[in-house]
Amino acid sequence: MPIETTRGPNTQAIIRGRDIVKRFGSTTAVAGVTFDVMSGETYGLLGPNGAGKTTLMRLLSALSPLTGGELMVAGLDVTHQGRAVRKRLGVVTQQDGLDTDLTVQQNLETYGYFSGLSRRESKRRATEVLAFFGLSDRANDDIDHLSGGMKRRLAIARAFMMEPDVIILDEPTTGLDPQGRNLVWEKLAVLKASGVTILMSTHYMEEAAALCDRIAIMHLGRILDEGTPDELIARHASTEVAQLRLATDARTAVRAALAASGFAWREVGTTIHVAAHNGQRPQVPPMDGVRITYRPGNLEDVFLAVAGRGLGDK
Amino acid sequence: MRTQAAWMAAGIRWRSVQALWLRHAVALKRIWKVATTWYLVEPAFALVAVGFGIGRLVDEVEGVPYSVFVTPGIIMASAMIHAIFECSWGVFYRITGGFYETALTAPVTVTELALGDVAWAMTRAVLTTISVGTVAVVFGWITSPWAVGMLLAALLVGMEIGAIGLIFAALSPNTHTLSLVFTVVATPLYFFSGSFFPIAVLPDVLEPLAWVLPLTPGVHIAQGFAKGQLALTHLWSALYMMGLTAVILPIAIHLLKRRLVT
Repeated sequence: MPIETTRGPNTQAIIRGRDIVKRFGSTTAVAGVTFDVMSGETYGLLGPNGAGKTTLMRLLSALSPLTGGELMVAGLDVTHQGRAVRKRLGVVTQQDGLDTDLTVQQNLETYGYFSGLSRRESKRRATEVLAFFGLSDRANDDIDHLSGGMKRRLAIARAFMMEPDVIILDEPTTGLDPQGRNLVWEKLAVLKASGVTILMSTHYMEEAAALCDRIAIMHLGRILDEGTPDELIARHASTEVAQLRLATDARTAVRAALAASGFAWREVGTTIHVAAHNGQRPQVPPMDGVRITYRPGNLEDVFLAVAGRGLGDK
Repeated sequence: MRTQAAWMAAGIRWRSVQALWLRHAVALKRIWKVATTWYLVEPAFALVAVGFGIGRLVDEVEGVPYSVFVTPGIIMASAMIHAIFECSWGVFYRITGGFYETALTAPVTVTELALGDVAWAMTRAVLTTISVGTVAVVFGWITSPWAVGMLLAALLVGMEIGAIGLIFAALSPNTHTLSLVFTVVATPLYFFSGSFFPIAVLPDVLEPLAWVLPLTPGVHIAQGFAKGQLALTHLWSALYMMGLTAVILPIAIHLLKRRLVT
């Protein structure tokens, strides 16, 4: 299925993927993905675990060879120019991959050596990057003494040792507490404003909505749809969704009423989310033992609608 | 310049190899006090126990006091332990801890990481040779100035044994299988490489086996330098070690790629 990309004027694709396929033995992790990421934008891969997000990012970082298709980063072919590609990228893997034998500052300096910086340049750059990420006072600490949020910020800081054109973030806030997550978001927002291109994966809808200019919804190794969060919501979710909280004995009656009214609904625990097919506020009639509230449609509704259809196609 | 061209032809960037070496040096500097026990104290225990203990019970071996005979062997055994430990356990933990994955996000290759680790194994072999060698000089068990040449033997041992260690790091799914490196490699090499007794005293069946063990030529070279008597056999030994490395290291790199680049 060819996917139309929304292209603004004077934008240039810094990442260009065409029909990317990746198989591990008989398992297909990425099943023909085509996408463009424009210079300076924040592009999100949104999908559940196993959607192929991490694999796609590993292909992009030239850490894993493609089975088929074409993938270019900053005009360089990932398959044949892996080293040159990695010079342009800052990659933050899901595992922080911090070196526990070294201090915070030494972690950055060592990465500088790997990136080809001299010892002096590494030291200078590490000091700068630590200051930017608010970790200067922890420079000489052991890695094991950092909180989860700090470790993640350090892993992101490390990707900035080489002043990358593109930063690749694999689930930047997975496993963090709300405070840690906010700190990471704050930094990413600043980076985004500075004009660096960000490609990130996440399974948090809230994160994708807050940070991404455009989102690709991935499921089972495919991109099912792509667009700005607002576009996706307009296309696939109602402007308003009714949330029904109900007493347990009311469930059967409510289902019957919803089926009769022709609304689409999904059940999450004791809550039922109801959407009207015309995209407007679903007028759910009052029922006994049911509390009805309305909320705006969100990416979660989009994801479930799109992924549900994607599954239906098979 | 010509060697530089050869490196580049193989797609190897020396700077990345250096980077990993530097990382190891920085890590060692942080823990040098503890590290002293590995590089000096532990092998010195073996030297003292065997030299003073067994040395009192045994007369001369190959025309020298037992303590003098055993010194180069114990030093090479220590060099071997350092190299094998670095390249099997050290590398295994750097793989499973995600450190190598991280390093590979920088413009470096698996080959460069492997070479950096082997270079560090050689460094560790040299460090322990210097520290234990100094103790032996103090005891009067090393007297020939030629003994400095043992550093060359240490480099060869570090390189060749390091390459063997990488194979275990690349293949081990877990630490249980990884511990086989001690059972299968380190322990037999420690005892059967001519460190503690001349290989000639082994039963006829075992003697040729002992000669092909990878540490034996290293011990042989170290003994030659310690005595200050070098023969053509020492050159053959060195060539054997280089040849073995030339076979094993590419296999190790291939296996590491298979594990890391999927």
